[in-house]
Amino acid sequence: MLQSQGNEVLVTVADDLVTADKNSLSSLTAPPLASSQSVPLPFPMSHGTTTLAFMFQGGVLAAADTRSSCSGLVACPAAQKILPIHSHLVSTTSGTSADCALWKRILARELRLYQLRHGRRLSTGGAAKLLSHMLHPFKGTKLCVAATLCGWDGGEKQSFSGPRLFYVCSDGTRLQGSLFSVGSGSPYAYSILDQGVEWKLTVDEAISIAREAVYRATHRDAYSGNFVDIYHISSKGWTRRSREDLKEEYYREKEKRTKEKRDVAGLDSVCAEK
Amino acid sequence: MALEDICNLRNSCLHQNWLPASPATSFLMTDCYNLGLKGPKKSQRNNEVPLQFFIPPLLNSTSFLNRSPSSYFQGNPPVTVRRPFPLSHGTTTLGFVFQGGVIAAADTRASAGGLVACPEVEKINPIHSHLVVTSSGSGADCMLWERILTREIRLYQLRHKRCLSISGTAKLLSFMLHPFKGTDVCVALTLCGWDKELIYVCSDGARLQGNIFSVGSGSPYAYGVLDRELSWSLSNEEAISLAREAVFRATHRDAYSGNNVDLFHITAQGWHQRKRENLKEEYYRDMKKRAKKVEERKRMANELDTHN
Repeated sequence: MLQSQGNEVLVTVADDLVTADKNSLSSLTAPPLASSQSVPLPFPMSHGTTTLAFMFQGGVLAAADTRSSCSGLVACPAAQKILPIHSHLVSTTSGTSADCALWKRILARELRLYQLRHGRRLSTGGAAKLLSHMLHPFKGTKLCVAATLCGWDGGEKQSFSGPRLFYVCSDGTRLQGSLFSVGSGSPYAYSILDQGVEWKLTVDEAISIAREAVYRATHRDAYSGNFVDIYHISSKGWTRRSREDLKEEYYREKEKRTKEKRDVAGLDSVCAEK
Repeated sequence: MALEDICNLRNSCLHQNWLPASPATSFLMTDCYNLGLKGPKKSQRNNEVPLQFFIPPLLNSTSFLNRSPSSYFQGNPPVTVRRPFPLSHGTTTLGFVFQGGVIAAADTRASAGGLVACPEVEKINPIHSHLVVTSSGSGADCMLWERILTREIRLYQLRHKRCLSISGTAKLLSFMLHPFKGTDVCVALTLCGWDKELIYVCSDGARLQGNIFSVGSGSPYAYGVLDRELSWSLSNEEAISLAREAVFRATHRDAYSGNNVDLFHITAQGWHQRKRENLKEEYYRDMKKRAKKVEERKRMANELDTHN
């Protein structure tokens, strides 16, 4: 994922879009097609990341690594791939970092406007539909956004109350599910999650499975690594655990394995003596 | 070659081209054992089958044997056949080393594009009593190269009265595949041998020794499971069940892997094949296990409630 240059750039772009037409949503979504010169991509884009999210009885758990890569360079080892949108909605991002940061801000703005106009929060499904429809005019262009929206729907005036998980992609996909993993490291994470995730997990068990899945993916995938961010979304809103260094996890596991080997060797020698 | 004999190529005009009278030929003969052969050596007992391995003229590949470029363009240039579907390693095979020997496991689905061409293919084949090879890539190429490797190993054994080591086998295979580098040959084999050695050989030229390898489109899924649970001190049953679980998870997520799982266990006494297991049963067993866990939790929660 490309890291954006700074907050000033984003604000300017958002302002331009706003001043284009204050009332209608459709105007900000028309991209110039035939007239503009196409800028060549600096490097082949791929979803170089590992993000995952799953639902369980305690809410939704979202986890992601923190490596931003540009082809072979680690552009930023401490990027933030899970972006909170409002108190009960968090989105994990994959694809182009700049596009994800921009669209997250646009989505947050639209959801806030909806809340002010209608007096209630838009559901996660509604937010997913809104994002998908906003991205639709850019289908076929080089925009690359793959986000999972993890939220808790609830409150008065809502028909449904509980955790929700949606996957929205810039090529038009919009899927509801209970387990998603996105990015180049996702296959490695999927097998761990398939083994361990079930509805009745406790919060601590869910966190440890998510951490293990991201760790295994970062071990094998070159484009994922550095730290792991874990967010837990429950009826009270989202909470964030402090960022954990996966290097420590690696050394902890290595310690455990050498201890095991030593124990086995010790046992063997004891048996041999006998 | 045995295959050539079986395919009745002896009497065809192709065979005549393969054994031309003049040395200025568009085909090159390998002399793997440096026996100093100047012309084609034919088997006297086996219907005059040529004993060398012939390499057809290839436009773009370089060879460690020096070839004059002029030899390529005599006669007709080779016709390129269009691929029927894009080739990819649609499989899950894995191998790992532990204290009880080596485990090799693979699924059994052969896919051609979106079609399951055969749901019961054998992707793990024994080379001799203490060496097994798992294959990935193009099914036809793998089958051919396994046969060629088996023949070469057997010939070595007969000539030198001892088995070639696994690293020697891997080197031989790698050198035999080298002239085809850059062509459409697509072979990725993992040699699993008795001496707790695991070597991965690929038609791109890679030859790597390691303790754990997984090859194919389902390999990332298998790697996740294997990395988590693999340790040197596993017992035989644990290692086998880990291999089975890894293939099961890969076949669950990967479309090109599926159907059954083959498991081989190689020890100092030789290889031992387990009965082929259908992964559909594994799926139902997994569902039952989860349901049982949920029930167990409910029961414990109820007990706690009644106590309080």
